[in-house]
Amino acid sequence: MNNKQFLNELSDKCQIGAEQAATQVEQLIGVMEKIWQDGDSVSLSGFGVLEVKKKNERVSVNPTTGVRMLVPPKLVLTYKPSSLLKEKLK
Amino acid sequence: MDNKINLSQLAERLAQEGGMSKAAAEQFVKNFFDIISQRVLVEGLVKVKGLGTFKLIQMEDRESVNVNTGERFTIEGHQKISFVPDADLKDRINKPFAAFDTVEISKEQAEALSRMDEEDEQEAVAPVAPAVPEKPAVPEKPAVPEKPAAPEKPAAPEKPAEEPKKSAKEKRLEQKQAKKAEEAKMKAQKQQEKKEAAKIVDTPTVKDITQKKGTRCLLKVLIAILTMILVIGLVLFMLWPVVGNSVLDIVEKNLNKAKIEMVSDSVKTVAPAEVAPVKAVEAPAETESAKPAESPAVKPAQPQQKPAEPAVKPAETPAGTDALTAAKYPVIKLNSKDEAKDLSEFTLADVVNYSMEGVLDTYTLKKGETLTIVALNYYGSKKLWPYIAKYNNIKDPARLKAGTVVKVPVLKSK
Repeated sequence: MNNKQFLNELSDKCQIGAEQAATQVEQLIGVMEKIWQDGDSVSLSGFGVLEVKKKNERVSVNPTTGVRMLVPPKLVLTYKPSSLLKEKLK
Repeated sequence: MDNKINLSQLAERLAQEGGMSKAAAEQFVKNFFDIISQRVLVEGLVKVKGLGTFKLIQMEDRESVNVNTGERFTIEGHQKISFVPDADLKDRINKPFAAFDTVEISKEQAEALSRMDEEDEQEAVAPVAPAVPEKPAVPEKPAVPEKPAAPEKPAAPEKPAEEPKKSAKEKRLEQKQAKKAEEAKMKAQKQQEKKEAAKIVDTPTVKDITQKKGTRCLLKVLIAILTMILVIGLVLFMLWPVVGNSVLDIVEKNLNKAKIEMVSDSVKTVAPAEVAPVKAVEAPAETESAKPAESPAVKPAQPQQKPAEPAVKPAETPAGTDALTAAKYPVIKLNSKDEAKDLSEFTLADVVNYSMEGVLDTYTLKKGETLTIVALNYYGSKKLWPYIAKYNNIKDPARLKAGTVVKVPVLKSK
């Protein structure tokens, strides 16, 4: 399902125009981004948790060349599905 | 910070942002995530522009071990929802750490870093611990150069700290980074001190150096030996024609002399017995040269006595024993340069010191025969073939045809 299909379905469900749906999606993502930048996580029942996690720096070794690289720390947006959603997978 | 924003809170903020009613916003957010969670199960993939991709992944069966009992069991294959954030969003989220780059580091630095991590753990368990390694390290401090790994770690977290930040999150990061930088610095110092302490006990670096030196020395010695062998080989190769030929020659000469003595001097009855072993060695040459030497052609053999004599002179011993010692030469003194010089002189004398006077015999060459064989037959020495060639005006002695008639000259010493 690509973005267009997603927007269509969302506009149908909310009974709003496709354009408005698109702008609202943008706004929603903007709001969530601010939440993440504040160090908070977005937790929704039935969906899961979207949060930013810090990955520590690490030394990786290229197994073929043996070259050691210091990989810097980074912030990564992670998603953890809710147990309810996981149940549905089975 | 570290708050969990739920649906209503999110809707509230969205309503503020988009200027819509809270109910509508809540409905919108609910639908938004409902569609994602439903569609990802049905279609296996949902792409949301600006957020990322939710994907259903099939995990294969895999075997695992129960940590407590050590029993093996299989984790059955299942499906998993993965989320890959949009590249733009990913970059924006990682902005505080965007200044970092992956750096290539040396082994020592890597080890230092890993040790630092270990220290982290140690500190977490017992904060008093780091004070211990500090003590022995203090006096040695100035002797050791700055550790390369030390500046690396603190330098990294400092960068983002310099960036201007306003939000609480960023401030937190800043604090964290500053803290981390300090910690890293301290750790680096401790690390350094620890290393110094280790050096005093184990002196691993010194060992390394000596080992390296040792291998270098070994390499040098190897190279020297190789070059020496090469040079010796080269010298031998260049001198071989002289040494080899002269050795052969002197053996022949002495044989001849012994033969002549056998024929002419009946006094020395011991001689043949002594020459016998030499004969055995030079069997083919011996049998062929013996015939003409003993036959009516005593003349050509006689002049040879003279060139052979200089060989005897320096020794001035009975001919029989001389022949024996001469025969031993190739075995004992093959590599002696002085010997080679003497021998080469004799051979030169051999070839130069004769004049050709009259025809001794005429000989028809058979198939496979060369002038050297003729020379050997008539004069008892291969070396004298150039006289035959010269006497017969043969320009290309290497390409003689069978049936060629050659005149064998009588050789008289000058």
